[in-house]
Amino acid sequence: MNPSALFRYTFGFKIFGRSMLKIQKFSDAHKMARFKPRPDDPLNPPLKSGVLLKEIMAKHYLEGRFVEGVKKVAWVTSGAPVEPLRALGYFVVYPENHAALCGARKVAVQISEEAEKEGFSVDLCSYARTDIGSALSGKTPVGKIPKPDLLVACTNICQTVLYWFKTLSFYFKVPLVIIDTPFIFDDMEEHQIQYVKKQIEEMIITAERVAKKTLPFKKMRKVISDSKEAAELWLEIIYRGKFKPSPITAFDTFVHMAPIVGLRGEEIATIYYRKLLKEIDERIKNGIGAIKNERKRILWDNLPVWFRLNWLSRYLATKGANIVTSTYTLQWGELAPMIDIERPLESAAKIYLYPLLNRSARYKLATMKKMVKEFQIDGVLLHSDKSCKPYSLGQIDERNLLAQEGIPAVLIDADHNDSRVYSEEQVRNRLDAFLEIL
Amino acid sequence: MKELRKKTIEKEKEKGKKIAAVFPIHYPRELLRAFGYHPVEVWGPPGFEREKALKYFQSYTCDIVMRGFSFILTRKEVDLILVPHTCDALQGMASVMRDFLNPYVPVLTLYHPRGRKKEDVEFLEMEIKRSFEKLCEITGKKPGEENLKKAIFEEEKADSVFRELYEKKENIDLTDREFYQLLRTREFLPPKDFISLAESIPDKKMERRGKRIIISGILPEPMKIFDIINEKGGIVVDDDLACCGRRTYETGKSENPFRRMAERILSAPPDPTLGSSTESRIDYILKKIEKSKADGILIYNPKFCEPELFDFPFIKKELSDRGIKVQYLEVEISEEIPHQTIQRIETFLEVL
Ligand code: SF4
Ligand code: SF4
Repeated sequence: MNPSALFRYTFGFKIFGRSMLKIQKFSDAHKMARFKPRPDDPLNPPLKSGVLLKEIMAKHYLEGRFVEGVKKVAWVTSGAPVEPLRALGYFVVYPENHAALCGARKVAVQISEEAEKEGFSVDLCSYARTDIGSALSGKTPVGKIPKPDLLVACTNICQTVLYWFKTLSFYFKVPLVIIDTPFIFDDMEEHQIQYVKKQIEEMIITAERVAKKTLPFKKMRKVISDSKEAAELWLEIIYRGKFKPSPITAFDTFVHMAPIVGLRGEEIATIYYRKLLKEIDERIKNGIGAIKNERKRILWDNLPVWFRLNWLSRYLATKGANIVTSTYTLQWGELAPMIDIERPLESAAKIYLYPLLNRSARYKLATMKKMVKEFQIDGVLLHSDKSCKPYSLGQIDERNLLAQEGIPAVLIDADHNDSRVYSEEQVRNRLDAFLEIL
Repeated sequence: MKELRKKTIEKEKEKGKKIAAVFPIHYPRELLRAFGYHPVEVWGPPGFEREKALKYFQSYTCDIVMRGFSFILTRKEVDLILVPHTCDALQGMASVMRDFLNPYVPVLTLYHPRGRKKEDVEFLEMEIKRSFEKLCEITGKKPGEENLKKAIFEEEKADSVFRELYEKKENIDLTDREFYQLLRTREFLPPKDFISLAESIPDKKMERRGKRIIISGILPEPMKIFDIINEKGGIVVDDDLACCGRRTYETGKSENPFRRMAERILSAPPDPTLGSSTESRIDYILKKIEKSKADGILIYNPKFCEPELFDFPFIKKELSDRGIKVQYLEVEISEEIPHQTIQRIETFLEVL
């Protein structure tokens, strides 16, 4: 460990930074307590847990500013088996999470342009462009992202992450571990599970080598147990959208998903989701919906449009429409029951093979139909996301097949991070026409 | 080439062969042949319209998928479709075909790994075995080890002739277009026919003058691109094309036919769709440039091709830092080449 880095870390993060965060939290809580909703606001007041969420995520990014030279840093994809890395003491960065944050703060285009200037095409996934742009230029709304010592890309969400992380590996000259998860067209087969398991074992060997440590199995059990509990809580939170009126919107879950993606396996994520669930349950007990006048319930498919989250949620709420759930956020909870603490590697191999994005279009359609029933959905809004081909290809048929079964469905063209390919007028017209037929 | 392809299909059908339409890039041809299929590859045929596929896929999908899908919608003469898991776009297409289109014939998929380690070979061996079992179910046949080996040896022979063609490129009397047409007959000719055709070309030391370039990318469509390069003063001395140079497979080693097929696929040169690192691609291209004494490299890609697009900036940077000129062209797989593309080729050749 580098002594001057340790000093900076202790002073900048542990002493000064944390105190600043406490002050910030106090001020946010105070603001929240004094918050007076406008009578014409179509939304009910936001979830109070948002204050804690902000503090947790700010603390994570703050630690990242000072962590280089103190802890080993791993950059991983959202679907990667992170538990062994946490047990080995890595500070884990999720470039997708950071890119989403840039999108929500409306700086993604400006940062992507840094990558585009270097020849990265505008046709590449806008998360990748945002992240590469940030790596090349150092631009980020969180001050600083620590450089990686290790990269882990798991292809269970797309092949894009493999190309993207290869690029990072070339740029940073650090080892890249690829966990290649064969796409599941039907059901997973034994040789696929064994293949993924072997790769996780190899990842552990590389991670141990880079960290110069041996994996502490006892600690890993605790991390897996925290991961499992957080995923179970997350699933419960998503399922609360089944209540009428729904105490949450999918937009809430897009925001509150940050810990399940970025802090999965850390105790704080579990603590946070317990608190959030409690608050949501209180809302249900008091009959408070997320929007004031919920007349129509909608299912969202694909990633959110980060830079217009607020607008979309308000626009729909003014029309009495609530997007109560999404296929996207479900992914981080639906496999929770499969986590087996007694057989960690075997169960990890299965779980990491099985997310929605690693399965056929038929399976995705079946999931949507199930959600329509369980969440009493009136219509499905499919976001055709230019940046995310694995999620978007198949949506045209999915829309048609839903409609054939009497479930109104509409496709809106946008992008999760690139506002340059988004036309608000077109989206508004689509939404209006859709809401009329509901 | 179109005519030869058509005739080959007719001839193979007359011989009782079934036709398998195969999407890019890597697959064991020998496996299909052992079951009596004649594989014909579908690389986004230029004559098939994108528009037809727009009923299924968004406009931000690459031409290989759009035109290939349009081909499947139009042509009903195939008996099997094989889609290797090359990229997200082909994954989406395969899923739509299997799940929603319900085509008139079975759709088989093959997942190939993104690494070349021992466990990757073992996994691919299992995937090929799985495809073997599926084909047994579909055809009601079960080729024995001898049949499989016979098909493997024939393909290995054709692959070694394919590799040799590269070695003697400067010593055969073919224009660039003719040479690449010859290589690409591997996409639809039976191995024996390919070997005879290749061996029928007489050796002759050629004096070819011009700016020496390497062409990289997915595929050189339309093939007229070679004429344009020649007309503008360039000669293509080697390639790093997915349909050609990236498929110079080695002869397998294992006595187990499934293992051997897997070994062969994973012996391919660096390829982003096989998970090759950026470094290995750069090294490979640099070696090619050195060996062929090329002056520059033309990267010629269909739009929206992520595997290629990600590698491009650092390949360009590393080559440019060594004084090697790089030109990137994004193209539509159409029958004509836009004027602007021709101009860019001309300018590129001028600055070499
Ligand atoms: S947005 Fe889609 S393409 Fe981009 S990293 Fe995520 S899953 Fe992959
Ligand atoms: S052109 Fe690129 S994106 Fe399209 S099928 Fe080929 S490898 Fe995939």
